[in-house]
Amino acid sequence: MKYSRLAGLLIGTAAAFGFSGAAFAEVTLSFLHKWPEPENMAYFEPAVAEFEAANPDIKIKMEAVADEPYKDKIRVLMGSNEVPDVFFSWSGEFGKNFSRNGRALDITDAVYGGDWKASFPEAALEPFKYEGKLYGVPINVDAKFMLYNKKLFADNGIGVPATYEDFVAACHKLKDAGIEPIAFGNQYPWAASHYIGELNAKLVPNEVRLDDYNLTSPADTLYTHPGYTQALADFQKLNDDGCFNRGSNALTHSIARGSFLAGRNAMMYMELVEFNQVTADSQLGQDGWGFFPLPPISGGAGDPGLLTGAPDGFMISAATEHPDEAIRFLKFLTSAEQAQKYVKITGMTSSVNGSVTPDNASEQAIEGLKAIDAASGLALWLDTDMDARSTEVLLAGSQALLNGTDTPDAIMARVRETALAVQKERGN
Amino acid sequence: MKASLLSRYAPYLFLFPSLLLLVAFVYAPALENMVYSLFSWSSVRTEQRFVGLDNYRELFANPVFWRALVNNVLYAVISIMFQVIVALVIAAVLVGGIIGPRQRTLFRTAFFLPSILPVTVVGLLWQLIYQPTIGLIDQVLYSTGLQGLSHVWLGEEATVMISVIMVSQWQWTGYMIVLFMVSIQAIPDDLYEALKMEGANRIQQFFHITVPGVRESTLILAIITIFGAFKVFDIVWVMTAGGPNNASEVLGTHMYRSAFRNDVSGYAAAVATVIFLITLAIGAVQIRLQRQD
Repeated sequence: MKYSRLAGLLIGTAAAFGFSGAAFAEVTLSFLHKWPEPENMAYFEPAVAEFEAANPDIKIKMEAVADEPYKDKIRVLMGSNEVPDVFFSWSGEFGKNFSRNGRALDITDAVYGGDWKASFPEAALEPFKYEGKLYGVPINVDAKFMLYNKKLFADNGIGVPATYEDFVAACHKLKDAGIEPIAFGNQYPWAASHYIGELNAKLVPNEVRLDDYNLTSPADTLYTHPGYTQALADFQKLNDDGCFNRGSNALTHSIARGSFLAGRNAMMYMELVEFNQVTADSQLGQDGWGFFPLPPISGGAGDPGLLTGAPDGFMISAATEHPDEAIRFLKFLTSAEQAQKYVKITGMTSSVNGSVTPDNASEQAIEGLKAIDAASGLALWLDTDMDARSTEVLLAGSQALLNGTDTPDAIMARVRETALAVQKERGN
Repeated sequence: MKASLLSRYAPYLFLFPSLLLLVAFVYAPALENMVYSLFSWSSVRTEQRFVGLDNYRELFANPVFWRALVNNVLYAVISIMFQVIVALVIAAVLVGGIIGPRQRTLFRTAFFLPSILPVTVVGLLWQLIYQPTIGLIDQVLYSTGLQGLSHVWLGEEATVMISVIMVSQWQWTGYMIVLFMVSIQAIPDDLYEALKMEGANRIQQFFHITVPGVRESTLILAIITIFGAFKVFDIVWVMTAGGPNNASEVLGTHMYRSAFRNDVSGYAAAVATVIFLITLAIGAVQIRLQRQD
């Protein structure tokens, strides 16, 4: 009797499972992002599993490729119409390119129509908008800071520079003491674009710069502000003065970072999301480290309070067959609970309200977020904010500047020429 | 009657499947690519605008394209020097009985080994060797007092292309040596014996028997080498991604960058068509030369 009841129960349960499987047609969402590193997947893998457990009708097919190849991968997928349902996007022009061409789903109503909007500061949503509509939600917010080795600074009697002149003077002092001042790897020249972008923001009036990046400036003034050539000249001067390590064009950013972590360089321009790379047992960790935003340039026509950085986020494919499920997944990822885990596990910072607390983030990360809040605004990553073709010209030019084989004037002339061609094509 | 009909058409029946695959995956896409090159479009923006030959005009006016083409030619010339001429000489030395059979096996294996490594591994390995200051080459130069010769090999526009090309030679010359050894061994020994009796030295033997004896394989290997030089992409992309300042751009990377970075797929299709026409011309020369034999 007992046995048969147990058997009945088992059969019943099995039938119920079988039934449930048949009743909910299972939906598979493809999900592509750019954090394949083990320390980052350590967040994403359990998060996906947790979501699947809570939503048995949805399966997530996750794939991740690193930062640099991601730029190609997403375009290949777009070109072959295999767009993932949910995909990573930088904010700014990189994302606008998808919005403008109808490849990203308009999620204005989903976010602003309900309580989802309360999850984010409005400033973090702004860079995902195109023509007033929202096309993405931010997962983290990132900004660029100059990290410095406290011991090397103290040994050479250097304080945190308050002005750009102080900063350059600090470089000279370090160099004279036989220390390579700044670790810099520009083999992939996005690294230079962060310096140039920051200098542009300091030297070119904000509205002019944004109109140029968006190609909405009149054709006769597009990229003609003298601040742009000044920015390139200042960047070149850093190199010519010996502020950067030797052979920056042949080093990757991560190799240069290795040198900085080993205590061989006094400074490095790094992202907030990289703060977690400074481990306690590295030489830098032992020497102690701090950071400062690149200081303002006296007489610069730009906004000295701007910080280079941007929120990164996710978009939904306009062609997805399961928009509701995709939105459910993004709501899950951007919930305060998930965002707290994300911060704790990856060491990155999240743009979700209330996600960064002293419990889950390092002292420096919290300070970094405070600096972002204190900034007058974010100047988005140059290489994802300018149109792609003009960016390529500027980026190749940055390598030429480091080699001394081209001049700021000639490079800006080529950038302008390229930007004019793209502007004409877009019909702005 | 029936049997003869079958035997007449049977060969075509056997050829049909492979022909079908070739048409579907080689000829049709190549043709389609030429059509694409007449449009302005990108992978993100799906609608296509007919622009005629504008993409080609832009291409021929772009200094980066010419730089890439020159780099491919340089790649081909240096590859021929190493992978055909040097490889043939080394193969002749190894086969020629100057060294013993055990040493021959040792050298053959040592030379061949790099060619079994994946290109990505080779690229990353050499990236480290070329690294400024901490790289093996720089360390050797510094420790021998030759620091004056030190360069940022992959970071300077003047040295980057030759540095990448030499990695290809390091990887593939050994492979070519083995292929040449096989064809030299196929030359009948009595030819060498006859010439030896006439009093010819090794150099004379090389020029009068070895070189003519491997003429056919030399031709084919040279063509393969040139093809490779014009299609090269992976080693350049891994080591330099075409930089710095486009100095190591080849047609393959220029095409890829145009399509997947700059969002100008029509232009990229035009680059692809140019690569296709160049390799087609080389193929035609090969067929022509083979017919003359």
